[in-house]
Amino acid sequence: MRLTYPHMGEAYIAVKAMFDDLGIESIIPPYSTENTLRMGAKESPEGICLPFKIMLGNYIKSIEAGADTIVITGSCGPCRFGYYGPLQKLILQDMGYDVDMIILDPPKEGIGKFINNLRKLGGKISSKTYKAFIDAYKVCEKIDELNQVQYYVRPRTKDKAKVNNIIHNFKTKVLTAKGTKEISELIDATKNQLLALDIDKDMNPIKIGIIGEIYTIIDPFSNLNAEERLGNMGAEVHRSMTVKDWAENNLIKPLRREIPYELEKRLSKPYLPVLIGGHTQQCLGHAVNYALSGYDGLVQIYPMGCMPEIVSRSILPQIEKDYDIPILYLIVDEQTGEAGYQTRLEAFYDYVEARSCRRQTIIS
Amino acid sequence: MSVRVGIPRGMYFYKFYPFAKRFLMELGAEVVPSPPTNKEILNLGSRFCIDDACLPVKVYHGHAEYLKDKVDYMLIPRLTSIVPREYICPKFGGLPEMVKYSVDGLPELIDVEINMYKSRKNLINSLYKLGTIFTKNPYKIKKAADKAAREQIIYDNCLLKGELPCKYIDGTDVSKNNSGPLVGIATHPYLLYDSFINMNLLDKLSNRGIKFILPEMLEEKIIEEKCQIFEKRMFWSSGKDLIGSALYMFENNNIDGILMLTSFGCGIDSLSIEIIQRLGKKKYNKPFMVITLDEHTGDANFNTRLEAFLDLIDRRQAN
Repeated sequence: MRLTYPHMGEAYIAVKAMFDDLGIESIIPPYSTENTLRMGAKESPEGICLPFKIMLGNYIKSIEAGADTIVITGSCGPCRFGYYGPLQKLILQDMGYDVDMIILDPPKEGIGKFINNLRKLGGKISSKTYKAFIDAYKVCEKIDELNQVQYYVRPRTKDKAKVNNIIHNFKTKVLTAKGTKEISELIDATKNQLLALDIDKDMNPIKIGIIGEIYTIIDPFSNLNAEERLGNMGAEVHRSMTVKDWAENNLIKPLRREIPYELEKRLSKPYLPVLIGGHTQQCLGHAVNYALSGYDGLVQIYPMGCMPEIVSRSILPQIEKDYDIPILYLIVDEQTGEAGYQTRLEAFYDYVEARSCRRQTIIS
Repeated sequence: MSVRVGIPRGMYFYKFYPFAKRFLMELGAEVVPSPPTNKEILNLGSRFCIDDACLPVKVYHGHAEYLKDKVDYMLIPRLTSIVPREYICPKFGGLPEMVKYSVDGLPELIDVEINMYKSRKNLINSLYKLGTIFTKNPYKIKKAADKAAREQIIYDNCLLKGELPCKYIDGTDVSKNNSGPLVGIATHPYLLYDSFINMNLLDKLSNRGIKFILPEMLEEKIIEEKCQIFEKRMFWSSGKDLIGSALYMFENNNIDGILMLTSFGCGIDSLSIEIIQRLGKKKYNKPFMVITLDEHTGDANFNTRLEAFLDLIDRRQAN
């Protein structure tokens, strides 16, 4: 069995590490390019959201590289992600690919089916499986930290190209590294390389929070490297949702019987009192949280037609008013042009910077 | 003078209006529905709503804006789930907020949540919550709810027999003494019964002597049964209705062609229509057409496509 799965931001690193530990061979799809997206979009329904198209492109590339089984998580929430699996399976069959698709629906949808699927994946469930899972979670934590360091270093260093270089090297090496141990070491080494760069410690960059739909904010290809672009302009960015957050709130906290997304739910309550699906509450909660933590601006990124984020998009202007924080709304799909995107980010950066300078003068 | 409660004529209006009307009337309120969609309402909608929302949400904003000065309360229920273990669409859940933050100067909103995801019994709690706005007498609320439920059953049965909601609600009707081919129309009620945004589709078909069958004319059991073919349960009731009725229309030999209407940017449709198309192409050999509507849809090109579709059916029958 040669397994493949979509990138989902940096999740592939942790998932690969876990399967390596369990002795299952996995094929990571080549990093997404224009070509991946074009291949995916060609076979996808016209109106579906961008992640579907990128994932389908990823699968096709993986299958061409020799993968025979696809594993993804499912859900039965109101978001379209829950039906990605069944439809992608149908499309791949129609295209003539003979692949097996394992869709891991949450256990509450039928515990028997869930265990069956796990069996198909890894044979017996033992303490080894559990250990691999915990180790993979630790890899997620490390990736998170690496990203934080990157956000800190990028605006403060003069040599942005070096940061790019280090990250690029990391992405190449991580594909050949095996197991949680080796990958953790690689992440640590990369972090140290970043910290060794020459930085301007006195600099006080403006802070921009990134909110929105989870896939499009954790996957740099889908948002045209928004974090990198803003960082290179000189802003310290922070991303509201990460793979570690997702794993913590969806896998770890329910096991510990804690309430997931407690802070986000509390902060978003005045604007949206109930769960309506997707990450609307998280998006709004983070927006309020960033505003309260003194961020200078927010960027909301979501794929064209995303149902839950359209709801957050209509509520965010109120948060913008209430907390006096500018928000840039970016909608991405396969037609998104790079130049227009860059211009808008630059304009937003200039606006936020001028605004924060003015504010500082008033305070002093 | 009694309190005036406005109900915007959009989204699931044609599904639940008789219930809401009777319930509120029994509680002593005057019910004011907005008029059928017209150019002005659509323009108001696209002005106030955010750009990338779908057409029905925009239309709904237009109705809310139109009604806001004419009523004391506005009923915008939060329809999170109307069938156990199924959602409708995230936009239904966030509708009160979408309207609240896009339209200024709204009267007090009645945004009671109707969430039957766990059990149908939750509806009763929601109705009590809604009723306490008008009366403190729980018995009166209970009685109103019973009467409303009865009204709704009568309405649903009328639709099942092939009546159109406009006859029941506004007293207008479309002639049905036709002898032409039978066309199945699978789409959401907010596109099907809003004759302004669907370019008078039902009238146009009827004038050409064409009979039609609509999702509301099918029993829930049939729809439920057709959706069993999927490994994964369909967790949107709106998607389930669409797929179930389309598959029924494909399988029923009396139906000569299937027409689907969708609105640009509809999330559920982007998936379900693709599934229907892929299944339909493989298994059945029937004329099938999808028309995408948005606020820029023009009458002329709509007619051209409809004519082409009807010609296709005619030609098939001639052969």
